[in-house]
Amino acid sequence: MSALASRLVQAVMVAVLIGTATFAMMRALPGDAAWRIAAGRYGYDNVNAQAADAVRQELGLGGPVLPALGRWFADLARLDFGTSLVSGQPVIDEIGHQLGASLQLAVAALLLSLLIGPPLGILAGLRPGGVLDRTLLVLSTGLKAVPQFLMALLLILFLAVHLRWLPAAGHGEARHFILPSLTLALGLAAVNARIARDAMARIAAMPFYRFAQWKGLSPRQALLRHGLRNVSVPLVTYLGLQFVTLVEGVVVVESVFGWPGIGHALVHAIFSRDVPMVQGTALVLGLGFVLVNAGIDLAVRRLDPRVSA
Amino acid sequence: MILLEADDITVSDGPTTLLQPVSLTLEAGTPLVVLGETGSGKSLLAQALMGTLPPGLATSGRVTLGTHRLETARAGRFRPLWGREIAVLPQEPWLSLDPLMRARAQVGETHRLVRALTAAEARRQAETDLARLGLDPAATQRYPHQLSGGMAQRVAIAAARAGGARIVIADEPTKGLDAARRDDVADLLLQELGQGGGLLVITHDLELAQRIGGRLMVLRRGEVVEAGETARVLAAPLDRYTRALIAADPRHWTPRSTAARAAASTTASTSSGPAVVSAHGLTVGRGGRSLIDHVDLDLRAGRIFGVTGPSGCGKSTLGDVLLGLVPPLAGEVRRDGGLPVTAFQKLYQDPVAAFPRRLRLGRTLADVARRHGAGAGRIDALLERLGLDPVLLERLPDAVSGGELQRLALLRLLLVRPRFIFADEPTSRLDPITQAQVIQLLCETVEQDGCAVMLVSHDAMLIRNTADERLALGRPEGAAEPQPEGARPEPVPA
Amino acid sequence: MTDTPLSLAGNANRTASLAASWPRLVGLLLVALVAGFALAGPLLVPGDPLAQSLIKALAGPEAAAPLGYDHLGRSIFHRLASALRLSPAIALAAVATAGLAGLALGTLAAARGGWTERALVTLADALLALPGLLLVLIVLAIVPGTALGFWAGLSLVLWVEFFRLSRAATRETLASPAVQASRLLGFGPAYIFRAHIWPEVGPMMLTAAAFGTATAIMAIAALGFVNVGMRAPTPELGRMMVELLPYWREAPLALLSPVVATFTLLLGLTLMAGSRSA
Repeated sequence: MSALASRLVQAVMVAVLIGTATFAMMRALPGDAAWRIAAGRYGYDNVNAQAADAVRQELGLGGPVLPALGRWFADLARLDFGTSLVSGQPVIDEIGHQLGASLQLAVAALLLSLLIGPPLGILAGLRPGGVLDRTLLVLSTGLKAVPQFLMALLLILFLAVHLRWLPAAGHGEARHFILPSLTLALGLAAVNARIARDAMARIAAMPFYRFAQWKGLSPRQALLRHGLRNVSVPLVTYLGLQFVTLVEGVVVVESVFGWPGIGHALVHAIFSRDVPMVQGTALVLGLGFVLVNAGIDLAVRRLDPRVSA
Repeated sequence: MILLEADDITVSDGPTTLLQPVSLTLEAGTPLVVLGETGSGKSLLAQALMGTLPPGLATSGRVTLGTHRLETARAGRFRPLWGREIAVLPQEPWLSLDPLMRARAQVGETHRLVRALTAAEARRQAETDLARLGLDPAATQRYPHQLSGGMAQRVAIAAARAGGARIVIADEPTKGLDAARRDDVADLLLQELGQGGGLLVITHDLELAQRIGGRLMVLRRGEVVEAGETARVLAAPLDRYTRALIAADPRHWTPRSTAARAAASTTASTSSGPAVVSAHGLTVGRGGRSLIDHVDLDLRAGRIFGVTGPSGCGKSTLGDVLLGLVPPLAGEVRRDGGLPVTAFQKLYQDPVAAFPRRLRLGRTLADVARRHGAGAGRIDALLERLGLDPVLLERLPDAVSGGELQRLALLRLLLVRPRFIFADEPTSRLDPITQAQVIQLLCETVEQDGCAVMLVSHDAMLIRNTADERLALGRPEGAAEPQPEGARPEPVPA
Repeated sequence: MTDTPLSLAGNANRTASLAASWPRLVGLLLVALVAGFALAGPLLVPGDPLAQSLIKALAGPEAAAPLGYDHLGRSIFHRLASALRLSPAIALAAVATAGLAGLALGTLAAARGGWTERALVTLADALLALPGLLLVLIVLAIVPGTALGFWAGLSLVLWVEFFRLSRAATRETLASPAVQASRLLGFGPAYIFRAHIWPEVGPMMLTAAAFGTATAIMAIAALGFVNVGMRAPTPELGRMMVELLPYWREAPLALLSPVVATFTLLLGLTLMAGSRSA
């Protein structure tokens, strides 16, 4: 219960931080911002001083800071995210369109990374210092040193441009998933393979794991009945923290591959100073983290009876 | 009937021989106890017999087990015997149970996977096993962290034996247990032996050896120094080391109080002087729950106040309250106001944890000496008095033996000229002979420097033969046994 | 026992730490290599990273430009050296700020406890929920000047890790019998920090600093690569790659140079940080 309460506090704090940051961003907009926004809305021919003033009023660009901040948070508390300064569409609708594409990509990448990382990590952890363990260490260290955009670049050059196996960009077909999700998955797998490896090595050295074999269980039986379940606890917990890496990756990878998701939208919104869109997407990402981790708290509680005690 | 025969078992680490050739036989109905201090090679012997030696060590020797003839060098051959022929009882039963699996399932899986019973049969059999060991049905559905230490011990025994093995090897089965629980474990082990099985117990604990009986083998630095009937060896040891080991048992110490009282009467010492620390109507506890109610104490210079009781009874908390480290729940503590605050000191159970981990010992001692204006000569003088080699000062705390480090901890206290020392189980992690040395030095400190000492120990015999006054505490009603650290989930690296 | 096998254990520890330290040495060497190129390169072969000469666009290496020319005829060698001074400098400044702030706040939180600790932990937890790149992007939009914005944004992101590490280690250390003993012996907070806390936290801070520097360099390059970081014509690693990407067939060396340099630098930093999982 207290774990969920602290997640709630975390969610409120996230909203306050993002609200404050985007308000500051709004106030820091260059002087002609109201003109630009009005132009974006009504077209350049129809902009006049009145339209710009109306926009300035509406967004709280001028006037004293504190009342403007109050209005800003009041809107936020009513879950009124406003309309995009660029498209004029409600922010909530825009995000609704993009979230699905991002979720698909993120889930595909996560599943792929879980398919690659933990099995290798567990095998390596069963024989610490063995050939597989050392190879995996070199590989994961190397992979961790490759930023996601560079991984994307290398995969595009090699698989798409050089071998012409896959499309470098695009969205809609299954084959479009492969490059972006592989880019994300390799980075994630490098880390969760290490987590699984360390957890497995630690658990294999624990008295209960040895005792299971002294009872007469074969190595395979001990692994299946006592190893995997215990390894899954730190692994699942860590997935929650990896969510941030995943989101960062989504922001970069969507921009590189032209994937029409929320990360792509965020970069665009920042570029064109579309503050309501920035606020909306940031909130979705931040609150998504809190939500995912609350779910993980519950999952860990189910896996490990000691946590709820 | 001979169940197990081992011939010329040796273990070595490169050029260093850790275990000289040892031979032994294990007969049905007669337990065998291997007694030795840390580093005597007793655990290596057990590991060689089970085929579980760490990979870096070389071993030789033959083991005959019924129709099986094995060589210890080929450890893989032992694996099929685990659970089926040899049952191994782990040192710490709590840590030997899977934290994520219910007690009954941990016993049942042995029946199912090793003896190939069906799931339903295995469950029934597990229930029968656990009931026979005195575990009530509700407890069999609990997770390990919900079991008391005694219950966990029973579950571990049932799980180890479920595969049908006739031979039980118990390696230090009473590590860290208080006297009542130790006797309980000994009885359980003997009960298991009842059906004509074999029992090999590895221990450093003389009382456990005595209770187990049967035959005894004393190991020292990898060599058997004496062997024979347990009762005979303990009553009339032939070897010098065995005699020293038995003499170091607190039961055989010369009671200090008579000697001290004799000294006191001739020199009119301060035994009747004012109290250095006193408490009135003191109630102490942890987490708001009281453990000790309304005690009055006067701790006087030159005297040892002994406190004894089972783990979890609040004896260490009492000392922390007297030092002002923990507030009392009720009552008051009065410390002699004329003394500096640093006159009140504590000697810790685990000396390694009581020193800055990454500083050389010499540096730590020099810092204390400088802080209290003690000249460099004082450290040298104390080193000599406590029988310590100055070379130790170059080392980190974890590179010094427990006995030496506890003496260095005493040295550190003496640099600040304490008037009161709270010694919290200062020897519970030391071997018997080292324990006797450290307690002896502590007693000398009381007599030479006229400190007041509150000595806390779970060993009633140690307190009886050391303290001038005694306070015996019982387990408070409704208090659960404390859980070891391993029973809590580990923090996940972030 | 403990008397005999100790020397053995001591030797084992020494070999273990030596074995553990060779990746760190390789890491240090790689970082030194890149730093040497960035600092000494332009002294050996003088040149201007911004000077254009369209006639030489995408031309191969020559004495004045050992790595050839980019699509605008600028020397890759000098642009790379300049880029390798820029983002590491910003990263180091951010890590220094974040490290000092995190260490100070972390030890403060652990030592004071109560509301101070609760407030700081709540703030850190909230920041932890936000992707670092997002925070950096927002700060970039608020703070005038890209380099300054990166420094502020990265400091804001990175202090959380230093804070969490130093708070956890300090809490554990302060609760240890060793600190209790030192207090009973009459030592004050300064000694306890010097003798107990810093020896525990210090090595962790160095590891976290190496990781943090790598994270910061990656962030600057990633945002450069998606065109929201450093502005043209400032030479920056990610930006150079995205600019040269379309010409990779004509001038593979031009694209390869920043790719290899970035990878070498990040690999060096990762190795220096050690094999910590997170």
